[in-house]
Amino acid sequence: MDGAKVTPGKTAGLYAGAAVLRLAIFTLLPALPDLLTGRVEISTPVTSFKRLQEGLFLYNHNVSPYDGGVYHQAPLFLPLFSLLPSFSSLPIFTYLLYIAVDLLSASALWKIADSGEAGSSALFTSPRREKRWSGFVIAAAFLFNPFTIATCIGRSTSVFTTCAILHAIAKAVSGAPFGAMIALSFASYLSMYPLLLLPPLVLLAYDRQRPSRATKSALQFGAVCATTVAGVVAVLFQVSYLLTGSWEFLPSTYGVQLTLSDLAPNAGLWWYFFIEMFDSFRSFFLAVFWLHLSSYVGGLTVRIRRQPLVVLTLLLGIFAIFKPYPSISDSALFLALVPLYRHVVPLMRYTFVSAAVILYATCLGPAFYHLWIYAGSGNANFFYAITLVWNLGQSLLVCDLMFAVLRDEWEVERPEMVGKEIRQI
Amino acid sequence: MNSVTNSLKLSLGRTATHIDRLPLFTRVVLVVMVTLEVLRVLFPRSWWDLEEWGRLEPDVMGIATMYRTNTYPLIHTSAIHLILNLIGLTPLLERFEASHGTLTSLALFVGPLSTGPALIYVVLERFILRMNTPIVGASIWGFLLFGSEAIRHHKVTPYVVIAGKPTIPTWTAPIAVLFVAALLLPGSSFLGHAIGLGVGYVYGLGYLKFLSPPDKILRWIEGKLNLRVRLPHFVSVDQKTYGRFGVLPLTNLAPQPVVAPATVMQLRRDPRLLKLPPYISLLCIVIGVAWLFLLPLDQYSRRTYISENALLPGQVHTYFSGSDQNVFRAYKHEVNELVGKDNTAINDKLEPIIKGLGLKTARQNFTYHAAGQTFAGENLYAILQAPRGDATEAIVLVAAWENVRHEVNRNGVPLALTLLRYFKRWSLWSKDIILLLTPDSIAGPQAWVDAYHDAHDPARVASLPLKSGLLQGAIAIDYAQEGRFESLHVVYDGVNGQLPNLDLINSIVNIAGGQMGIGVALQEMWHHNNGYQDRLSTMLRGMLKQGFGLASGPHSSFIPYHVDAVTLRPFGEGWQDEMALGRVVEGSFRSLNNLLEHLHQSFFFYLLMQRERFVSIGTYLPSAMLVAANFTIMAIALWVKSGQPASKTEKKAEKEVSTPSAPTTVERDLFLPLGVVALIQSLSVLPLYLFNHALETALTLFFIVFTLLPSFLAHFLNNFPSTPTTPQQYDLIRSFSLLLLGMFLSTLATLNFSLALLVGVLAVPLTFVPNSISPNSGLPSRVLATILLNVFNPTAVLVGLGLVYGWFGGGGVDAAAGADVSNGVKWMTGGVWGVLREAAVGWHVCGTYSPVVVWCVWWPAWVAAQVVVLGKKEVKTGSEVPREKKDA
Repeated sequence: MDGAKVTPGKTAGLYAGAAVLRLAIFTLLPALPDLLTGRVEISTPVTSFKRLQEGLFLYNHNVSPYDGGVYHQAPLFLPLFSLLPSFSSLPIFTYLLYIAVDLLSASALWKIADSGEAGSSALFTSPRREKRWSGFVIAAAFLFNPFTIATCIGRSTSVFTTCAILHAIAKAVSGAPFGAMIALSFASYLSMYPLLLLPPLVLLAYDRQRPSRATKSALQFGAVCATTVAGVVAVLFQVSYLLTGSWEFLPSTYGVQLTLSDLAPNAGLWWYFFIEMFDSFRSFFLAVFWLHLSSYVGGLTVRIRRQPLVVLTLLLGIFAIFKPYPSISDSALFLALVPLYRHVVPLMRYTFVSAAVILYATCLGPAFYHLWIYAGSGNANFFYAITLVWNLGQSLLVCDLMFAVLRDEWEVERPEMVGKEIRQI
Repeated sequence: MNSVTNSLKLSLGRTATHIDRLPLFTRVVLVVMVTLEVLRVLFPRSWWDLEEWGRLEPDVMGIATMYRTNTYPLIHTSAIHLILNLIGLTPLLERFEASHGTLTSLALFVGPLSTGPALIYVVLERFILRMNTPIVGASIWGFLLFGSEAIRHHKVTPYVVIAGKPTIPTWTAPIAVLFVAALLLPGSSFLGHAIGLGVGYVYGLGYLKFLSPPDKILRWIEGKLNLRVRLPHFVSVDQKTYGRFGVLPLTNLAPQPVVAPATVMQLRRDPRLLKLPPYISLLCIVIGVAWLFLLPLDQYSRRTYISENALLPGQVHTYFSGSDQNVFRAYKHEVNELVGKDNTAINDKLEPIIKGLGLKTARQNFTYHAAGQTFAGENLYAILQAPRGDATEAIVLVAAWENVRHEVNRNGVPLALTLLRYFKRWSLWSKDIILLLTPDSIAGPQAWVDAYHDAHDPARVASLPLKSGLLQGAIAIDYAQEGRFESLHVVYDGVNGQLPNLDLINSIVNIAGGQMGIGVALQEMWHHNNGYQDRLSTMLRGMLKQGFGLASGPHSSFIPYHVDAVTLRPFGEGWQDEMALGRVVEGSFRSLNNLLEHLHQSFFFYLLMQRERFVSIGTYLPSAMLVAANFTIMAIALWVKSGQPASKTEKKAEKEVSTPSAPTTVERDLFLPLGVVALIQSLSVLPLYLFNHALETALTLFFIVFTLLPSFLAHFLNNFPSTPTTPQQYDLIRSFSLLLLGMFLSTLATLNFSLALLVGVLAVPLTFVPNSISPNSGLPSRVLATILLNVFNPTAVLVGLGLVYGWFGGGGVDAAAGADVSNGVKWMTGGVWGVLREAAVGWHVCGTYSPVVVWCVWWPAWVAAQVVVLGKKEVKTGSEVPREKKDA
């Protein structure tokens, strides 16, 4: 498959196959979407489709969608979904929308893969870059990843964020910084945390500018990008304000993420901590947790300056572990980008271990949740323990990828060390 | 993880060689210190207070106590103090001795380097600070040596480089340590350490060189006494390596071949290491199974106890007797009239009776289709509203018209009616009491409980017109036998091996045994002598029942909804009458009535081995986990093996081919193995669907198809890819399928321990299946493997089960199984057919998931093993990994 010719027919076949699979699940197993929508691993308070419907109902009845504290998602979802025919009578349109978003994400991923940025960026060319998978394989791995499918079937609104992030990267890679910034603004508007991707994304866009209209000064370029993002986000806020008629949406969407006021269990590490915590320490630890999450941005951006796409990938992996409301859709996004680094897989050391840990956690998670919530024979510690394992698996993968990429860089600097056994301390 | 253990091994190996190479003076000092510490501990202030004697105490210093300036570094206040100092001192002292020689070290450390700092300390403390703090311990030497090392290090690397700029001078490192030590270690003498460090700096700068004895004299002494020959580990003057450790080794760029890491690396690559996992797996299985057989022993099982204090079992007087017996006879007469009539007629007769008691009644229709059969009927139920409750909680009394063995519940139904009438007279109920009369023991209660929790399929099960509060508990009466009884049989297994809270069983045992004097039996062990064998067989029977996951009585349907429930079934010939059973039910209801919250105190996961002995999950879970772990261990081993060069003959070729970056691991070709495992896994949906949706007549046919299918499938998969499959790919197929098996089983062990253990033990041969095309698997092992695989596989086990089922007479088997075949064959096919039908009924009615485990966990693992065993010999032994084209 390496370098195999991808015909338009194959492309269409892939997309059609993915779409048909999703449609088949939607129509043949009508109970499954609602089941998945209720799963805490898929739907978080800030991405749940059920909550979206609640907000939509309020919105359509001219009540502020944020009344009642159920809906925590961006206001622009409301006009989008109220434009669609009603979900209760004609769900097919909602299904089609979600399928289309998945396919769009896949096409962006395909572009990223075909650009070869993962193997050879502007400042660094890996000696192993020849060994890579084509965009076809990577898009297929994304589209047929069970996590992606589950997210799509569960109709979590995080698919829109995923799509926006992938498009931002694809635009940046193809030398369209403006488009990249707009896409990132949308992602940030929808979920807030993608704003942290700005520094590496700016660097990526800077590295991949078209020579014809390249800006020389990095500072100037960065400033323009930041202004663009700020401008677009401001416009989106203004539109949201006009739609909902108040600024209430700011505390209800971003405020909830910042203060973790909804403590519904999820696959992440925050909820249990904040359930257990005394109120007097809450704000301090909120600050610590957010600081921890954002501290990776600077460090990784500086350390792996020569491969901004790697930074983006690693950051997405870290967000999938440490953000306040992570779900398997964040993991699906990270896992979508990991196959781009096919060339460093031989350098990775714990692929089997991390894959096995993630698989085990995937199996045990629902079982332990069942024991806790339904069977009543377990308690919250069961589920929390398994989220710890799940995140351990993911962090193993993140660390291992980082190790492999750094080793790849290091072997270029130190050719005499190629193939030597080293120890990480 | 790997790196951690690896570095651990490394450092252990290093430590060993390090200690082995310690020079003489260092050894002597260490031995003296440890000996003194032992003496100090052995004779604590009894006749000779060592610390008092040897410490450096400024105020008592005089000519007679001069010895203290030499003894204080060798004595410590506690073992921890000693250990900390040893860790700090040993490497420094060793380095000092190696670079200066043993004699010089002896001279310096017995002489000026101990007394010097001591005198400075005494002078400072006594005359300037006017204090009297005694000090002991070798840390002063440690700081002294550290200071001198730091100066030497400073000469080579003057600055620590941070962010490209030389910022911190290296000689300041000990000062930082000095302050950290002062902060972290309470009771440490800052002044003493500082003096030691100061002397160290001065020594390091070379101002104290004059103190060391001249080489000439030393050489003379060595020669005269022939020390180099006589003393082991002696560092001679000429041997000394002034420059060996010239600097701290972190700047020592010339890579020194270190012995230990190499051996560890070799150990890691040792092919013998790969031979180990099968034995570890075997050990896991043996321990896992042996564990199970230890459980009935007194040391491992526990006595049951009532954990929820609110239950107060047997603390109330029961009044159910006397005139109620007449009521019971009247109801029994009515019920006897109804035997043989259809369900609606029965309900038509019973409903007015209940209504006559002044209770609300309602009916519910249900229809289930499973294995081509229809289970339909109508439930009748009544709610006794609690005089003192608010209808938020309820207790259920169930009497099925027919029990699981299809006998009419002749005494149970009238007893339940009598009890209800009796309960109605009491004003003490704080929870509603629901009487549920169902036409059968499985489908009826299931339909009712489903509808009560709004979890029913409205197409098949009608909704309930009348409801009460949250169900707190349920007791079913199964009293089909005529006449008096001897003991009670408590049936407690729920669907899918779920169990009621142990407190409920304990309460009933307590009420029946303690208050009424009725014995209690479990798991059809009619006579239990509380010996090892009886306990073991009770436990194993319980595990089998839980493993099958089928409903065992009307109570089973309640348990998945977290409603604790049991069925009471009287048995034997004795002198207990219906009223005694009624009083047991009354007592249990009074206990449940006391509950302030749902039963939660006691265990939900347990194995009962006698009515008063059990083991809890913490004790028995390891056995299933160990069995599941054996698959994972093997999967990891196979993964590692697949990454290594195939065989010795191919090794050279591999080296040329494999990428230079990874000399130890070969690239794995993952697509084909992943594809095969995924294909087999997805095929497993097929039997699951077919066996659950086929007509009952087709079940046997499908069974034969799926018995033969794996072999065909294996043959097909082995011949389909045009490219030859390598041993590596076979290893990977096994690795993935075992990984999945281990994963599913360990997940299952948390939900249904017994099923996980049963499947795990039966799937054990899959661990040891030899790779057919690996060079070391001879014909015998392949034959053995094939036999094992075909004895312990899902279909063969089903046939076995069928035999047992046919033997003990599955109801209705003879009617439908082919009548024209001979008796033996009928038995077999009929038995298998019966098992499959039971499974299908369980699946459709109760939601038993055992078929999923058998067909989607065990079956695919077995097929994968078949593929590997029947794998064809490789055509060419090419070393290159073929690029897989099928998946492209």
